[in-house]
Amino acid sequence: MKSITTGSLAVAAVAIACTVVGGSARTAEISLPPDPGARDAHTLVSFACAKCHGASANGISISPIFPILAGQNSIYIEEQLKLLRQHYRADPHARAFMWGISHALTDEQIQGLATYFSALPAVSGRPSSNPALAAKGKEIYENGRPGPNKVIRCIECHGETSAGTNTVPRLAGQHPDYLALQLHYYRDGLRENKLMNRNVKYITDDEIAAVVEYISTLSGASSPE
Amino acid sequence: MAISGAVSAGGLTRNGAAMHENNTFDPGIAFNFGLRGGVVRLLNLGAVATLWILGASALMLVAKPARAVPPFARQTGLACEACHTLPPELTPFGRRFKLNGYTLTTRPPLVNDIDDHKRNTLWLTDLPGIAILGQFNYSHYNRAPPDTGQPYPAHAQSDTYQFPDQFSLVYAGAVSDKVGAWLQLTYNGQAGSVGIDNIDIRYSDHTFDNKWVWGITANNYLTFQDVWNGIGSYTIPNFNTVSLATGGVAGAGTTGPILNALGPGVVAGIGAYAFYDDSLYFEVAAYHSAVPGGGSPVVDSVSLAANGGALDRFAPYARIAYERDWGYNSAEIGASALYVNWIPSVGYISKQQQLAADAAAVAAGTPGTPPYTPAQTFNPGAINRYTDLSVDWQYQYNGQHNIFGFLGHVTHERQQNSDQLVAATFTGSTPSGSAIYTNPTDTLTQALVTAEYFRDRRYGGLVSFTRTRGTWDPLLNGGNGSPANQYETFELDYVPWLNFRLLLQYDVYQVVANNQSPFNLSNATFPNSPGFTNIRAGNNNTWVLGLWMDY
Repeated sequence: MKSITTGSLAVAAVAIACTVVGGSARTAEISLPPDPGARDAHTLVSFACAKCHGASANGISISPIFPILAGQNSIYIEEQLKLLRQHYRADPHARAFMWGISHALTDEQIQGLATYFSALPAVSGRPSSNPALAAKGKEIYENGRPGPNKVIRCIECHGETSAGTNTVPRLAGQHPDYLALQLHYYRDGLRENKLMNRNVKYITDDEIAAVVEYISTLSGASSPE
Repeated sequence: MAISGAVSAGGLTRNGAAMHENNTFDPGIAFNFGLRGGVVRLLNLGAVATLWILGASALMLVAKPARAVPPFARQTGLACEACHTLPPELTPFGRRFKLNGYTLTTRPPLVNDIDDHKRNTLWLTDLPGIAILGQFNYSHYNRAPPDTGQPYPAHAQSDTYQFPDQFSLVYAGAVSDKVGAWLQLTYNGQAGSVGIDNIDIRYSDHTFDNKWVWGITANNYLTFQDVWNGIGSYTIPNFNTVSLATGGVAGAGTTGPILNALGPGVVAGIGAYAFYDDSLYFEVAAYHSAVPGGGSPVVDSVSLAANGGALDRFAPYARIAYERDWGYNSAEIGASALYVNWIPSVGYISKQQQLAADAAAVAAGTPGTPPYTPAQTFNPGAINRYTDLSVDWQYQYNGQHNIFGFLGHVTHERQQNSDQLVAATFTGSTPSGSAIYTNPTDTLTQALVTAEYFRDRRYGGLVSFTRTRGTWDPLLNGGNGSPANQYETFELDYVPWLNFRLLLQYDVYQVVANNQSPFNLSNATFPNSPGFTNIRAGNNNTWVLGLWMDY
């Protein structure tokens, strides 16, 4: 324990020192630890990310204010971290929590973090305590809501089990409240994504509650291509 | 400061030690008033109440611990809400940030040095973590407190405008990758002086898996290092006012345990802590007298003069807490124990000195009772022993829009008075020619319960209830001896920006027994107004309009 601690935190110090200059012109002046692999990512996670996204660096946050990252698609994490770093993702929580802390991450570190979190054991869905609501949500998830003010079906991109793929996030196992908040953000234009802003432009609060209830039951198992 | 008040009471009264948990000390002020208290004693003005009034005026000279500071936000890249529900109350994340020694950072190092083992040997950012903190308030008393400085009450204003009430310069942030500091210099509006305020310097480390976080804290305010808000320096409510309980009207103040009174200018200590599995917290610490302006090593007479007394040797403190977080919820329950040997400051003249003074008076042709001049500020060997046992709790719901908090503590204090100062076994003399305590042992129990609610960190308020009861000790507390008090604080907050807060507070008093109340004091002082134990506690009710900001 002693050697791990001493060594890792020395690395952490350097890593953080490097972290903070990433993205600036000074980045190149300070060398990263020679092995920016999983261990380095773990150091970053344990030093910074874990405080919100799972205290034991397991990627499973306790408060629904913060998303569960364990098992999330690595490409999605990488994209989001870059969007946050550049302040392109600008919803209230992104600003409050992620803009500053991600602003100096290097591309390599972002890759390392994405790899780290995506490799962690994901959280699966759970049976719904409100089957009627979940059934309503299932309808929206699988078929959307037709009409002039339509809501686009989720299954198209997020998949049958909501495992997501590439830049489409895994939703299964996520905190329902977090998902609901993001849907509100998308609907109200606080979180910008042309596709999602359009897809859920007319979704109602009740529909958000329903679809989130359904998603929380999904397994997130890899769906057949 | 509170203890300064106690000086004049002729020892460490509980009133004196009663500084509200939200208050901190300003040593410079304490020192000045301590001296003034000493002058009072030397002049032998006599009446205990008068002394109490003058000394206890120091009670009002307190400052609150500072709150969240922008340097932490600048250092971490996180907005205030990451660490605070509303400053100074911490979220689970904020607690971990503090326990990790304030070291989390994303600031680029402007100067960075590492050794051959890639160990950081120097790490300096482009900007030091400096912040300005300001608190301003306008207070209105239900009734103008008596001007206790005069033989007969003169007109006093029922309004007080503190502009500023407190103005601080703070360094807050990482010093190295494992060391962080909070260093605060405060201008205290009521005292009109600048002094060293809260200091907390931490070393922290943790295991690779974060299972254990441990650290060492050196600080000058017992409980300032704590990360929960049910007890100690950051108890909620936490706005500095001149209300009787939180700042004190000149010459008065509510009673409370000594746990809340060991602050800047009085003590400094060092502690070690460990946080296991994100839930179990252990801490042990020891505090010692640390009075600015004294010699080296600390000269007790300086400490005594400055603070109404001094810690004798080390005061051990132990703390344990358990926190569990789930969903938006965070709940903590904790306990702490403090043991203090305290040398109370009393005007003292020995029997021998008294006899010598008598003889001198006879020789001078003026026999009778001479105006004894206390030769020193303590009774040799007189030490009071305090044992404070507390339980505290904090429940917090930190939702997307709603914040709800329920927190508080119960502290039981046992005060064993030195038999040299207790009436039945009194030795020596004091300016008033009497003992200081009626009882060999006094006890005090204080309970505080606070409920708060905020919406979107913008609107909200709180209700807080405090109740203190204890053994009746007439020599200590005046009147019938009861140290009792009971009051509520109602607060409405408007936070247009996270670093700018407006509040309206109303403090309502049901019980303010004996010398705690300036109105009771005046009654006790004047022969045509016999002392009352709880005459219209509501006279002390106070409206406060406050502004807090930092940047």
